[in-house]
Amino acid sequence: MKTKVNRLMIGILMFLALPGMGQDWQVPADQLNIENPSSYNLENVKKGKDLYLQNCKSCHGDPGKNNHLPLVPPPPDITSEQMQANTDGGLFYKITKGRGGMPQFETTISADDRWRLINFIRNYNSENEQLLIDAPPVNAKILASVNEADKKVEILAEYEDKSGNYQQLENAPVFISAKKAFGNLLLGQALTDKNGRSVFSVPETVIGDEEGNVTIVVTLDENYKADQVVLEEAKVGKPKEVPQLIRKEVLWSTNENVQIWLLLSYLGAAGAAWIAIGYVIFQLVKIKRFSKQ
Amino acid sequence: MERNTRRNFIRKLGATVGAAGVVGGTSILSSCNSVETSSGDKIKLLTSSGELVEVDKSQLTPAEMPNLSENQTRGREGLPGRSWVMVIDLSKCRNARECMKACQNHHQLRPEQHHINVLQMQDAEHTAPYYMPKPCQHCDNPPCTKVCPVNATFKRNDGIVLIDNERCIGCRFCIAACPYSARVFNWFEPRDAEKYKGVTYNIEANVPQKKGTISKCLFSADRLRDGKLPSCVSACPNGVYWFGDRNEDAVTNGTTKETVSFSKLIKDNAAYTLMEELGTKPRVYYLPPKDRAFPFEGELIEHHS
Ligand code: SF4
Ligand code: SF4
Repeated sequence: MKTKVNRLMIGILMFLALPGMGQDWQVPADQLNIENPSSYNLENVKKGKDLYLQNCKSCHGDPGKNNHLPLVPPPPDITSEQMQANTDGGLFYKITKGRGGMPQFETTISADDRWRLINFIRNYNSENEQLLIDAPPVNAKILASVNEADKKVEILAEYEDKSGNYQQLENAPVFISAKKAFGNLLLGQALTDKNGRSVFSVPETVIGDEEGNVTIVVTLDENYKADQVVLEEAKVGKPKEVPQLIRKEVLWSTNENVQIWLLLSYLGAAGAAWIAIGYVIFQLVKIKRFSKQ
Repeated sequence: MERNTRRNFIRKLGATVGAAGVVGGTSILSSCNSVETSSGDKIKLLTSSGELVEVDKSQLTPAEMPNLSENQTRGREGLPGRSWVMVIDLSKCRNARECMKACQNHHQLRPEQHHINVLQMQDAEHTAPYYMPKPCQHCDNPPCTKVCPVNATFKRNDGIVLIDNERCIGCRFCIAACPYSARVFNWFEPRDAEKYKGVTYNIEANVPQKKGTISKCLFSADRLRDGKLPSCVSACPNGVYWFGDRNEDAVTNGTTKETVSFSKLIKDNAAYTLMEELGTKPRVYYLPPKDRAFPFEGELIEHHS
């Protein structure tokens, strides 16, 4: 019951708050009609896409998928009418200055690149010709093996053509990473040749486990739907050094940590004292016995 | 080797007396942090991230909880071969305080207690202000562990400094010794004391907390054991935190999940550690607040020395 009331309250609050928070984000009049100085061409849109993936996707989500983060106010999908209704100048101002949960990109993305980002957003405007067509990912598969002697990873990539046969995948970037505690560290990328093959030399500096074993992960880019290949425990890295942080010798703490010389001298001293006391008592008993005789 | 202290005895007594009321709740608690139960087959659970989810009762299995002494032995050893480090990017912090919230939930802290605190900083009179999250620095040369008369606080081989609350006598020497003010004292009954009564103490998370003892940031040692990033690192929406193993020279960002070389990250960004002149050798690295993603919106305190 209580939760119901709470939910209702939250609902009402959101309803009240939303229009308030989503209230027009005022862009100064002189900024509104600035034209985009960078031209709308494939190169700029592509660059804009890279920038979007790096800086914006984490909140706004994938274009057209409406999978933005549940923030208040919600970050609009870039293909949405709400987003596309902005003028170029307006978008530029908003990206530059940020507001609330949205960062200011004035300091982190150059002005040119911010304009390219807008080119990418406009790629999804119904009035524009779509320059960047997101084709659905192609089925592909990777085969990879490690040559431990030469410290090389050999890769063969294939894709499924329209008739369902697998063909060599030419000229595609392959990414090689090493598995670390919480994620994969990119070691580098290689391009496949016309036979769909490529060879990647593992850099000298890669650190493995204590024996130098590295778990290598090979993947294709997002245009291909392929399982990543995980090559467990390849001996191609430097052995990981594990310096000891703790030295057991501490002077004062608990028995587990006491130093042997300290323990022995303490036990020795205490033992000597008891022996002395015992000796005195023994002598006293002796004197008493003598006095009786 | 469960020690039979007076406190243990009293606790056991209390648990037996209150058994009727506690048993039901406890068994669910130890299995899955349940808060509410519903009649029927569905059960409502509170996840560690604070979300309320509903799951089928048949899907639940009781979690295996190591007993107290087992917990304490493995807690003292640390994860073999690891050397955990944290990197905090000051240019990304906008005082969202999600890290603080996640931390308080994880460690059952009262609202006024913080293992991690986001401070408003200004280095000199005319310099730019910025926000600085500050957890325990997990010093490699920790003054706090050296003053503890009962060896309750200690350093493990993977770099984490922990506290055994079953052992702590509450003398607060360690608070006095820590130059980073990283430790908090449980002056009052901890948050949710009733709810977590009788749950086995977990030394790697300091839960349940205990009145009259110390708590502090633990790098979420219990989560690391499960291969998860610390709570604060996962909770930050702004990509402030990097966390990883220094021995394998890799750190992962909790927000973007990107993994980069630790040595390169701190070299390229001129990272620094706090109060290095003290020789405490902190394990938390800061990247300077350059090219900040957010404007500073706090109020500056006028009188800084
Ligand atoms: S920051 Fe303080 S509590 Fe943490 S290890 Fe260093 S001295 Fe100890
Ligand atoms: S308060 Fe607890 S942990 Fe700190 S020095 Fe005293 S006994 Fe040790």
